[in-house]
Amino acid sequence: MKERLHDKSNAQQTQDPIYQVRNVSVAFDMDRGTSRVLDDIDLDIERGEILGVVGESGSGKSMFADSLLNAVVSPGQLGGEVIYNTEDGQSVDVTELTDEELRKFRWQEASMVFQGAQDSFNPTRKIRTHFVETLDAHDADIEDGMDRARELLSDLYLEPDQVLNSYPHELSGGMKQRTLIALSMLLDPEVIVMDEPTAALDLLMQQSIVRLIREIKGKYDVTIIFITHDLPLLAELADRLAVMYAFEFVEIGLTDGILEEPSHPYTRALLNSTPNIFAPVEDMTAIEGSAPDPVNVPTGCSYHPRCPMATDACVESDPGYYETNANHGVKCHYWEDVDNAIPLQVTADETRQVDVPAYGPVAMGTDRTPVLTLDDAEVHFESSQGLFAEPDAVRAVDGISLDIYENEVIALIGESGCGKTTLGKTAIGLQRPTGGSVSFRGQDIWDAKDGHGDVEIPHEAIRQSLQIIHQDPGSAINPNRTVRHTLELPLKHYNDELDMGDRQARILGMLETVGMTPPEDYADRYPHQLSGGEKQRVTLIRALLMEPDLILADEAISALDVSLRVEMMDLMLDLQEIFDTAFLFISHDFSNARYITEKSGGRIGVMYLGEIVEIGTVDEIINNPKHPYTKSLVWATPDLDETGENEDVPLRKIDIPDARNPPSGCRFHTRCPEARETCARKKPVLVGDGGNTHEVSCFRDVPNHEYWDSPELMNDEPSDETPTEK
Amino acid sequence: MSHSDGEPTPFERVAERETSRTDYYREILDRNVVAPLRILISDTRGLFGIGSILFFVFLGTVGVWLTNQPESTQYILLPPFQDAAHPLGTGRYGNDVLLQLIHSTPFMLQMIAGGAVYNITMAVIVGTFAGYKGGRIDEFLMTIVDMIIAVPALPLVIVLAVIFEPTNPIVVGIVITLPSWAGLSRALRSEVLSVRTHSYIEASRTMGLPTASILRHEIIPNLMPYIMINFVNAARRVIFASVGLYFLGVLPTSGIMNWGVIMNTAYETGSLYTLDTAHWIILPMIMVVWLSYGLIMFGQAADKVYNPRLRARHATTMTQETARTEEAES
Amino acid sequence: MNWYIRRTLQALLTVYGVITFTFVLIRIMPGGPMESMRAQLIQQHQGSLTTEDMERINRIVETRVNIDPDQPLYTQYVDYVSSVLTGDLGQSTWHQAPVMDLLIERLPWTIFLMGSSITLSFALGITLGAIMAYKEGTILDVGLSSYSTFMTSVPYYVVAVLLVYFLGYQWDYFPIQGRMAPQTTPGLNYPFLAGVAYHLVLPVISVVITGMGGRALAMRGNSVRVMGDDFIRVARLRGLKPRTIAIQYVGRNALLPMYTNLMLAVGFMFGGAIILEEIFGYRGLGQLMYSSIGNRDLPLMMGCFLLITMTVVIALFIADLTYGKLDPRVQSGERHESF
Ligand code: SF4
Ligand code: SF4
Repeated sequence: MKERLHDKSNAQQTQDPIYQVRNVSVAFDMDRGTSRVLDDIDLDIERGEILGVVGESGSGKSMFADSLLNAVVSPGQLGGEVIYNTEDGQSVDVTELTDEELRKFRWQEASMVFQGAQDSFNPTRKIRTHFVETLDAHDADIEDGMDRARELLSDLYLEPDQVLNSYPHELSGGMKQRTLIALSMLLDPEVIVMDEPTAALDLLMQQSIVRLIREIKGKYDVTIIFITHDLPLLAELADRLAVMYAFEFVEIGLTDGILEEPSHPYTRALLNSTPNIFAPVEDMTAIEGSAPDPVNVPTGCSYHPRCPMATDACVESDPGYYETNANHGVKCHYWEDVDNAIPLQVTADETRQVDVPAYGPVAMGTDRTPVLTLDDAEVHFESSQGLFAEPDAVRAVDGISLDIYENEVIALIGESGCGKTTLGKTAIGLQRPTGGSVSFRGQDIWDAKDGHGDVEIPHEAIRQSLQIIHQDPGSAINPNRTVRHTLELPLKHYNDELDMGDRQARILGMLETVGMTPPEDYADRYPHQLSGGEKQRVTLIRALLMEPDLILADEAISALDVSLRVEMMDLMLDLQEIFDTAFLFISHDFSNARYITEKSGGRIGVMYLGEIVEIGTVDEIINNPKHPYTKSLVWATPDLDETGENEDVPLRKIDIPDARNPPSGCRFHTRCPEARETCARKKPVLVGDGGNTHEVSCFRDVPNHEYWDSPELMNDEPSDETPTEK
Repeated sequence: MSHSDGEPTPFERVAERETSRTDYYREILDRNVVAPLRILISDTRGLFGIGSILFFVFLGTVGVWLTNQPESTQYILLPPFQDAAHPLGTGRYGNDVLLQLIHSTPFMLQMIAGGAVYNITMAVIVGTFAGYKGGRIDEFLMTIVDMIIAVPALPLVIVLAVIFEPTNPIVVGIVITLPSWAGLSRALRSEVLSVRTHSYIEASRTMGLPTASILRHEIIPNLMPYIMINFVNAARRVIFASVGLYFLGVLPTSGIMNWGVIMNTAYETGSLYTLDTAHWIILPMIMVVWLSYGLIMFGQAADKVYNPRLRARHATTMTQETARTEEAES
Repeated sequence: MNWYIRRTLQALLTVYGVITFTFVLIRIMPGGPMESMRAQLIQQHQGSLTTEDMERINRIVETRVNIDPDQPLYTQYVDYVSSVLTGDLGQSTWHQAPVMDLLIERLPWTIFLMGSSITLSFALGITLGAIMAYKEGTILDVGLSSYSTFMTSVPYYVVAVLLVYFLGYQWDYFPIQGRMAPQTTPGLNYPFLAGVAYHLVLPVISVVITGMGGRALAMRGNSVRVMGDDFIRVARLRGLKPRTIAIQYVGRNALLPMYTNLMLAVGFMFGGAIILEEIFGYRGLGQLMYSSIGNRDLPLMMGCFLLITMTVVIALFIADLTYGKLDPRVQSGERHESF
């Protein structure tokens, strides 16, 4: 192995590098030029470390992952050297391996975990077959290997035999992802490259997996390269961080160093834009501009079009690596000034005071009539509607009562499958409840629709008043229509007094209001010509054009890049003030929920298996969570400041129970760390503190409850069979 | 693009200047007619497809009008390309093969159109409705559809043809493909099932648009490429089945002229025994294959017409700015 | 399990529906077949009609089509359905023999002909499609794709006619008609089997070369799609042998959607037997049905129709059950149809 001059940075000088990446580029030849999706990367990876690679989507981070295994998909071309050093001191260049050597190298030395665990398994083969055939392909001993597989699976909180005997579609997303991690470690590799392994999962599951990865890393002694767009996730996991922007690393250093003294303007902007549960909301800001196109990377420093500190020098010359200290390198000419120019805004301040805006529910009291009332609403889905199927009801929403007031913002959070989306759709009258009632300003929605009783508010008007914004901007607009055409529809339907010109003017005006200028140009675009954020704005306009009283925002910002989320939420809040609407904001992310409710003085409701287990003002929920489940969600919310802490997962089980057969008593008792014997038998109810500020459904909130005298529940007790008492 | 600050909300905004109606309609025309056509002929397959179809339509209209009915002459079984008066030769009764082919076209076209339109209408109605509504309605309709699919079409058609003896070309087209819509509607339904999950469908429901309008405006346009391909396939099915049945003489042939009937006459008069009559039976077959191949090519190219990316690129009313963005993103 | 019960019921329902349909056709249609048969018999009867004559005519009608015009409609219906279900399909007017006997003799031949055609065209089409997918973008792929597309626009009977015309009549390489060599005795003996195979060549070829194209294109599309799936990439990274990936990963998953294709093809091809068998003079069910048309032999025609339909329903039923074994997702009620 030749010794290369480290003109880069000492941060790269490692003791015992397992990987030495030198001048690595990946290029695609395209009609309009060469697309460089990885641009001359140099990096050392230390044996046994967890290296976190962070970058926005399209920054080239997946290409980096692929190049480590020489797995760049054609027609991409990998250039440079990827030196891999084995434990006994041999070095190989992964890019030079023959096919057969490569086949051996992969999985035996270095393996990979993808984001798409959903699609990483062959749908027609059992999980066991996947393990066996992998062992077989590498001539490993099947029996020993399967023993190891079982051990790995149970280390990952899975039931080995149950998992092995399943088909992929029978496992939940989190289970599949963990199974894939187990599969990646089957042949005892030295390195595991994890490319967004948790991106598709709930926060609680993400955090649990991150925790398990740390444990497993300690136990099996591997090097992990963890690639993600989610900086806070890395804060607690990685030893070192490498920040990627425009197909190269702009800053590399120890995790603490980067989080405390980020020296690249981009890293700082990234940190400032990350929603964080404890930082003051006023301080979060979005990054202006958009990431560069791989065919047309800006000259000089590729960040200069977006950098507030950019000078002519930045446009002209590409900065090299500057060392800020022995363990920290940065690609910016002016890193020394960065502290003053871009102050870090995120600071922990748990005791801060929240200014509750004047129109929040607390300020306005509870004696008003709500816009929307859910009364003991129930939605039970029959899981298969076949002629001869046993009725297998999924209790998506199980007896929920909730009032939503004028101009209020309520955020519902919970893991996927907890029924929050169903609840939202029930609230806006898209889903007929199987029990209970939903009323709009006192008028039962479904009575109005069916024409039962005295209908005071016609269904048409209710329909218009309750609108929705969806999660995935990609599918929220008809791809075959221009923006203008899409927006015309609601206007035509409800405002026939407008003539064509008026409609146009209104549409253009709205486009301009949400910052899509010039509006004439945007109006004529098809959805594929819009960015994710722009599509989301169009859906927002579409909802607002109906002049609604309540908008359901169903994970409306989850699909956006982190740096765009704050911007979008701000826009929603601005428009809310102009248009006088209430928002029901559904999210799996505590930070987003907090951001939007805190800015508007709203409430947060926490859902678990079809029930609201805790609801209250944002301040109460964040700073004084009472329900053990809420606490675990708070725990799971990434938090930049508490790095390195290694608490255990505050759950007895990671996976959510089957909603077709929810646990008896308190539904959370199978996972609750505080569960006692009573919890398995009795069902707690939602009790409040008198005002509308905090309600919780847990025996621990009830003094002198028999709970306090009952014995603790043992782990893995088959408590599901215990009969329920009400 | 400046706007006065005095406006309270964009809600109350009305037009500041009259958008010219002609501009508006020109734009619609451009997007819905000119751009698709341009896309079609920019593709070799599309060009061949459109060309073939237009050629047959020309034969069936102008061609018929320009030429006489084929009559018996004394030139029996002339081989093709020998005599300028009978460029494609003559049959056993001395009738001109070219004229026979031309005068068969109207019948063929009407029959194809009848059958294809009938099939696609049934399939679209049943398929989209079942798929969109889901639940019990879907289950009920699909049970029926599955039963129809299980019945082999040709024997059923033969039974019907023998009993009803249809002669009107449109009726023949329909009878011949009577049960075929079922397979199509099942395919369409599963397409609808996937389109239905798109959130913009739900958004339309939230806006309170009626089912029919959602089906028409939101769902069916997305299925258009699929519908076009299937329309073309239905048309081909009509050709294949009808020519086959006429060829065997299962359908009443007297007084009717079409390619299948020509083949039937040739076959019945012992065409297979001798090479002299080869052209008489082979030429209609060539017509069948040509039209069917043209339809396939057309169907494949039509797929592109409904691609908004392509459509945006071929529309001239699109501003330069958008066109460039489009370029950058593709 | 559930799903199997449903499928079985569905198959039974289809059979029942078809029987009812034939009843409606024969009986209810005004001016329909039964009416005309009666009219024909009455016409044939010279002289004035006595009640006894009418009786006799009704008896004849009944033996032929299992419907006694004297009975009330619902009794007619029940009688008809039960006689069909017990295998009594009436009496052929032309052959003067029970329809069932005629059909049974022909059935195996048709199943044999169509079975081998379908199997071959699928087997070849799938192989060809897989090869095209693996060679995606090469000249081989482009060439085969264009060829396949072209072949899908050629009706099988066109190829059949050309084959008999040239290989049969003109050059005399293959028999122009029949299903077995003359002077051979059916059984497991070489001359007989060789003769059968020899007679099978042309009809099978005409179905296979026209039917194969569509299958190949479908398989190619599926395979290309599957090859882009994540699990294929992971399988490669896991170091699985290319053979395993090709067969167990790409092949198996690309094949599953072909099932729908097969389902539609079975009905289509069995129906096609009528034209095909007639062109090749192959004495099977299709040819029997064709001859019944010429002879205006209504009971025979209906019998053929019923039997062909039943065969297809049973074939589909079997295909459906095996599909459940191939795709584990089916039983759990998800994704029944994958197109
Ligand atoms: S080099 Fe210049 S443009 Fe680049 S990050 Fe530093 S200050 Fe900004
Ligand atoms: S009631 Fe019991 S199980 Fe439920 S959350 Fe409270 S302590 Fe946990």
